[in-house]
Amino acid sequence: MPSSYRGGAGRVLALAGLSGLVAVTGVAFYGLIGFSGQVADPGTLQDPYFYGILGFSLKQAALSAGLSVLLGYPVARALYYLPGLWFRRTFLTLCLLCFVLPTLVLITGLVLLLGHSGRLAPLLGADWNLYGLKGILLAHVFLNLPFVVRALYLQLLHIPDTAWRLALQLGLPALTRWRLVEWPMVRGRLLVLGGFVFVLCFNSFAVVLALGGGPQATTLELAVYQALKYDFNLPEALTLAWVQFAIAGTLFVLLGRLGGSSWLVLEQGGDRVPVPGRWSRLGHGGVYLLCALFLLLPLLVLLPALADIPASLRLAPLLQALLNSFLLALACVIPATLLAWLLLWPQRLAQLQQRPRRRQLLEWLSTHTLAAPAMVLSVGWYVFVLPRLDLAQWGPVLVVLLNLVLTLPFALQQLRPRLLQFDAQYAPLCAGLKLAWPERLALEWRWLGGSLRAAFALVLLLAMGDVAVFALFGNEAWTTLPWLIYRYAATYRMQEAALASLLLLVVCGVLVWLLEQGRDGGA
Amino acid sequence: MGVLELDRVRIAREDWALEYDFQLESGAILTLQGRSGAGKTTLLLLVAGFEAPDSGDIRWQGHSLLPLPVAQRPVSMLFQDHNLFEHISVWRNLGLGMGRQRTRSWEQAVRDGAEALGIGTLLGRMPATLSGGQRQRVALLRTLLRPEPLVLLDEPFVGMDPQTHALAGEWVRARAKAGGKTVLLVTHHAQDRALGDRNRVLGV
Repeated sequence: MPSSYRGGAGRVLALAGLSGLVAVTGVAFYGLIGFSGQVADPGTLQDPYFYGILGFSLKQAALSAGLSVLLGYPVARALYYLPGLWFRRTFLTLCLLCFVLPTLVLITGLVLLLGHSGRLAPLLGADWNLYGLKGILLAHVFLNLPFVVRALYLQLLHIPDTAWRLALQLGLPALTRWRLVEWPMVRGRLLVLGGFVFVLCFNSFAVVLALGGGPQATTLELAVYQALKYDFNLPEALTLAWVQFAIAGTLFVLLGRLGGSSWLVLEQGGDRVPVPGRWSRLGHGGVYLLCALFLLLPLLVLLPALADIPASLRLAPLLQALLNSFLLALACVIPATLLAWLLLWPQRLAQLQQRPRRRQLLEWLSTHTLAAPAMVLSVGWYVFVLPRLDLAQWGPVLVVLLNLVLTLPFALQQLRPRLLQFDAQYAPLCAGLKLAWPERLALEWRWLGGSLRAAFALVLLLAMGDVAVFALFGNEAWTTLPWLIYRYAATYRMQEAALASLLLLVVCGVLVWLLEQGRDGGA
Repeated sequence: MGVLELDRVRIAREDWALEYDFQLESGAILTLQGRSGAGKTTLLLLVAGFEAPDSGDIRWQGHSLLPLPVAQRPVSMLFQDHNLFEHISVWRNLGLGMGRQRTRSWEQAVRDGAEALGIGTLLGRMPATLSGGQRQRVALLRTLLRPEPLVLLDEPFVGMDPQTHALAGEWVRARAKAGGKTVLLVTHHAQDRALGDRNRVLGV
């Protein structure tokens, strides 16, 4: 029934929204292209310093992605094959929390655990050093392994019961079962996940800012920031930003061709999974335990900070920073969620009209900010607004705007599957009933239910954790909690950093819990 | 001259082609039977506007329906499945698509119809808690209460026991006649021929 669905006014609005989104990137590029007489400096590309940075960016991203996928796969298998695992549901929630955890909370935890005077430092030997590649990898694996675990576990749940029934009935040995049933299911996913984690780590900012340093451990993202903020070397910043965008953009397009990711949503299923033998049960259990330990330790290490609160600590700035973070995130989350809903309209229409290419194009356009590194967008805007606006005055607006476009893809991912499902079931009915717009919206609102709450919570979390955008446009007058943590940590006030991190962790924990609740209610 | 005319309507896909050419008078009930694949559902989808014919014309009161999108055709259709939104109550489902006629008299008509169909006590429930036959009766009630003059029913009695089936059949006929509706009714039960003023067997 290709031609029977029409867009109406909603489509015009949605296309206007999409144009606005593209314009935000466009302005960043306009800035990057060097409007104000500043041109990119190709000389930078001949500098060995540049190649050092580029090489390190690629190396750490590749290692982070490889490790996350390699270590995540066994954990996902453990979850799948041992449905009776203790705290399984909680563990999956923890995984989600780790993925959206504000980076600086993690970094504080890692420093308290593995830093020079960390709790585990005595066990690590004299030449252990958290700063540099090791620390960056640890942090990246901590942030991304849980994401891989959840995504792969979900993928395993998609193995049809009938496949297992058949395999068991045929009496296939374990290895053959793996080769015939499991591997074909996860094979493609591993590649996509690896690529996705690679892009995330390639664009990672806060981790490298805090744990990197020196030319041996600097990424492009950080180098752009340093060139801009410390050296005020616009041409160099522009060149680096261009290179960064070119690489990340190419990867993103390649990934898009491999297939999208619908990763955060957990489903039920898999009742006929073969029961593993005693030894492999032990193995699965061990893997699960190790992973839980790895994820919990950097968070639990924050707790003792409560025991001795330094006298110098003032609660007011902490709460003020939390309030600032929250208000900025809130200002971003409402338009982001509504915009996501709106932008999905033409995509759903294209799906109904069976125009897959059009749908893909719209999908790519609406999520393209996933590829544009935060720093590239920020730098573009920074260069653009610098001669035009007073940053001290317009800073908050710009922080909200840029976080909005950066978190939008996540809101889209939350709402898309649910709305596509709505259309698949009810598009003929809606058309047949001749529902008016308000009626239609009310129906979808109720249908979205939990997904809407989930999108809301996710965007709120990501926006609250922002460091990259704030680093450029923010200032002390309205500092956010993550930035406050960074400042404490940078001045070696670890007690304060730990307490601030704990506060942020608790807030995020509550939000993640709400997000998971929302999902349960959304069925 | 009929109020609904299918004028040498032809639709072809990769491996099949169907043709329809008939007229139906205003207020008449036509039952449609035939093997699976004979094109019963396709006919309804064509009239409702979910499918477009390759050639020929479909006219209602002398005007071609083909240029009109689904939402502008004078049609109320019952699908084979997905007739109810699962996330809202039966009562709210019944209120959808009623246009401007949602008044006190409409409420009374819903309650009367629900009583007649034996689903009077189910109005506050969620669709998922209903049996297949009950859901079908809820959908049937809404389809016939809507103001549209042309009613398309695709296997409306699926999932009903023989007694309910007979009851629902009688109700459909009475309600259609009272409302002056023109009805196309697809069925695979021979007994439903009695509900129609005319009967057609497709694909012979």
